Amino acid sequence: MKLYLLPSDNIIHFITKLAEDGPVFYPVFEDDKVHLNKFDKDKKFELNFEKIRTVETIKHFLFPSRDVVAKFPKDAQKKTERQYLVGVKNCDLRGIDVYDKVFLDWEPIDFGYKQRRENTIIISADCPEPEDCCFCNLVGLNPFCESISDINFTQVSSGLLFEAITKKGDEIINKMEDLFTGASKEVQQQRDKIRKHAINKLNKINKKSFKKDLPKRVEKADKQKMHNARKDCVECHACLHACPTCYCFLLSDYKRGKNFERVRTWDACYYAAYARVGGGANPRSKLDERFWNRFQCKFNYFNKYEGIYACSGCGRCYRGCSGKIDIREILWNL
Amino acid sequence: MESVNPVKNSDKVLDQSQRKGLSNGVNPYYSIPIKIKEIIPETSNITTFILDGMPIKFEAGQFAELTVPGVGEAPFTPSSSPYAKNMEFTIMQVGRVTTALFNLKEGDLVGVRGPFGKPYPLKDFKGKEIYIVGGGVGFAPLRSLFLALLHNIKDYKKIYIRYGARTPDDIVYRRLIPDWQKINGVDIALTVDVGDESWKETVGVVTVLLEQIPVNVKSSPTIVCGPPIMLKFATKRLIEAGFTHSNIYLSMESNMSCGFGKCNHCRLGEIYVCKDGPVLTWENVKDIEEPFI
Ligand SMILES: Cc1cc2nc3c(=O)[nH]c(=O)nc-3n(C[C@H](O)[C@H](O)[C@H](O)COP(=O)(O)OP(=O)(O)OC[C@H]3O[C@@H](n4cnc5c(N)ncnc54)[C@H](O)[C@@H]3O)c2cc1C
Ligand code: SF4
Ligand code: SF4
Ligand code: FES
Repeated sequence: MKLYLLPSDNIIHFITKLAEDGPVFYPVFEDDKVHLNKFDKDKKFELNFEKIRTVETIKHFLFPSRDVVAKFPKDAQKKTERQYLVGVKNCDLRGIDVYDKVFLDWEPIDFGYKQRRENTIIISADCPEPEDCCFCNLVGLNPFCESISDINFTQVSSGLLFEAITKKGDEIINKMEDLFTGASKEVQQQRDKIRKHAINKLNKINKKSFKKDLPKRVEKADKQKMHNARKDCVECHACLHACPTCYCFLLSDYKRGKNFERVRTWDACYYAAYARVGGGANPRSKLDERFWNRFQCKFNYFNKYEGIYACSGCGRCYRGCSGKIDIREILWNL
Repeated sequence: MESVNPVKNSDKVLDQSQRKGLSNGVNPYYSIPIKIKEIIPETSNITTFILDGMPIKFEAGQFAELTVPGVGEAPFTPSSSPYAKNMEFTIMQVGRVTTALFNLKEGDLVGVRGPFGKPYPLKDFKGKEIYIVGGGVGFAPLRSLFLALLHNIKDYKKIYIRYGARTPDDIVYRRLIPDWQKINGVDIALTVDVGDESWKETVGVVTVLLEQIPVNVKSSPTIVCGPPIMLKFATKRLIEAGFTHSNIYLSMESNMSCGFGKCNHCRLGEIYVCKDGPVLTWENVKDIEEPFI
C-alpha cells in the first residue's frame, strides 16, 4: 500500500482531529511502564510509540471484561461509538485475530463484538526496541504490522511513516491529506533499518525458536515436566487475565427489578470451578490438569482450529506472574 | 527472520463444516420468555416441566439453555418430541439453578435459549434396529429421541430401550412406560439397583440388561445417556459386544456457559461438547484420556 509521512509537527494535529470523531486511546509512559490512556487535548501529549506494548491489552475495547449481552424479557442492545486505538503493537493484533475468528468467523456471530470491531479504528505502530519479555517472533509474528489494523506507522526521525492497510485506513489518511507529505526513499530506508534492527534484537533475546512440531510436543508433553514447570504457580490467575488472546467467558444473570440482565465476564481455565459440573464432579480439579489445559488451548487446540497459536508472544503472563514463570522456557523444554 | 509459522494441523479436530451454529440473526445470548404450563413430579428429585408452547424449534439430541429469570441458566435437552406442541424438560434437582427451578410454580416465567448442538443423525438410523440405553435422569433426552423415532416408527426395524434406576420409585416416566411397552416394534426392559416387594423385573445395574444384546451389533446404532459412571461401564460393555465405535452415541457431561462454541467451558480435549456434541460417538472421544467425568 501507499506510504505517507506525517511530519513530527503534525502528529498532534492528526490525533486532535481523530479525537473530534471519537475517543482516542494511546500509550502514555508512567512509573516506568507504558499504559493505554485516553487522549485529552488539554493535557500534554507525549510521544511513546517507540516503547513496547502497553501494560493493558486492547481486548477491553472489543471484548470488555464485563458486558451486558442480553436483557429479559425484552432485549435491548446499546449502541457502540466510534473509538480510535493508536500505537497498538503487532502482538496485540494477534489477539484481535483470535477474537475475529471466535466471535465473527465461528457461528453464531457475536453482534456486540461485530459492532465494536466495526467502530474501532486501529492504528498500529512498529516495535523498534523489543524487551526481554517479548517473543512475537517465536509465534509467527513480526514486530510490525502488515494486516488486521487499519493503518500502521513507523516512528522515523522526521515523523511517522504511515501505511494504510484497510480501505477505512486509507480514507482516514485521505481525509487529512494536508497533514501528510510524500514518503521519500530515505525515510523508507530508515523504516527497513528500524525493522531489521527489531528482528535482530528479538533473535538475540530469543536465541532458540520453537520446534516446528510444537503442537504435537505440547499434546504429548511429559506430565512430570509440566508439573515441575508450574511449581511456582500461586494461582493468582494474573497470566490469563492479562493475556490478550484468552477468550474464555462466563454468563451470569442479575436481577434488575422485575427484569434481568445477562452479563458476560472474562473467565479463566485456571479457576478450580471452571469445569465443574452439576452435582460437583470436576474433570480438572487438580491445578496440574488446569495448567496443562492452558498449554493445550493455546498451542495445540487453537492451532488445530485456525492454524495459529492463541499466543502473541507479548510476555504479559511472564511479567505479571507472581512466580516468574516464563512460558517460553516451558515451551522450549518440551 | 527465524520465526516458526505454525502449520495447520486439522487431522483430529472435527470438520469445521460440522461446526454450524445458529445463524438465524437473533442475539445468541438472549432467552425467549415463556410460561410454565404444568409441573409433573416424576420421582422424589426429578420433575417434568411442560412449557406453554414451543419457544424454539429443535431436533432430537439438540439442547437448550433454560433460564430461571435473575438466577441463571443451565443446559438441558428437551424430553418432549420435536413434533409436539409444548416443549418439556425433565430435570433432576442437583444445585443452584435446578433448585430455583424447582421453586417455581405453574404460570411462572422461564427463558429458553437455543437450540444448540447437533441432533441425532436419524436418517442414518433408517431401516435399523436401535438400541437405547439409559440410566437415571438420562431418560429425559432419550425420551425425546424415542418420541421422534415413534413419529416415523415404520422407518426403523425395531426400537429397544434398556433403562436402569436406583429403586422402582426412582424410575422416570413410570406413568408412561406401560403404554410404550404396548407399541408394536418397541421392546423395553427395566432394572433397578435395589428392588422392593412389588418389583417383578430385573435387579442390578444397567449393564446387567446388556448381557444379552438381541440386535445386530455390526449395523445397529446404540444410544447411551446417563450418569458418567453408567456411561463408562455401558460403553465398555457395548464395545465388548461388538458395536461399531462410530455407532455408539454418548451424551457427554460437561460444564457449559454459552452453548454455542465460544466460552470454552464445555471443552473436552479439542472438542466443543456444546457445538460438536452434546452427543458424541465413541469414535470421537476414545482418544481422550478421561472422557467420562
Ligand atoms: C447437553 C446437556 C443436557 C443436559 N440435559 C439434562 C436433562 O435433560 N435433565 C437434567 O436433569 N440434567 C441435564 N443436564 C445436566 C444439567 O445441566 C445440570 O444438572 C445442571 O447444570 C445443574 O445446574 P445447577 O445450577 O442446579 O447445579 P450446580 O451444581 O449448582 O451448578 C452447576 C454449575 O454451576 C457452577 N457452580 C456451582 N457451584 C459453584 C461454585 N461454588 N463455584 C463456581 N461455580 C459453581 C458450576 O461450575 C456449574 O456451571 C444436561 C447437561 C448437558 C450438558
Ligand atoms: S500466553 Fe502470555 S505471551 Fe502469550 S499472549 Fe498470553 S500473555 Fe502474551
Ligand atoms: S481455556 Fe484457558 S488458556 Fe484457553 S482461552 Fe480460556 S483461559 Fe485462556
Ligand atoms: S458451552 Fe461455551 S463453548 Fe461450549
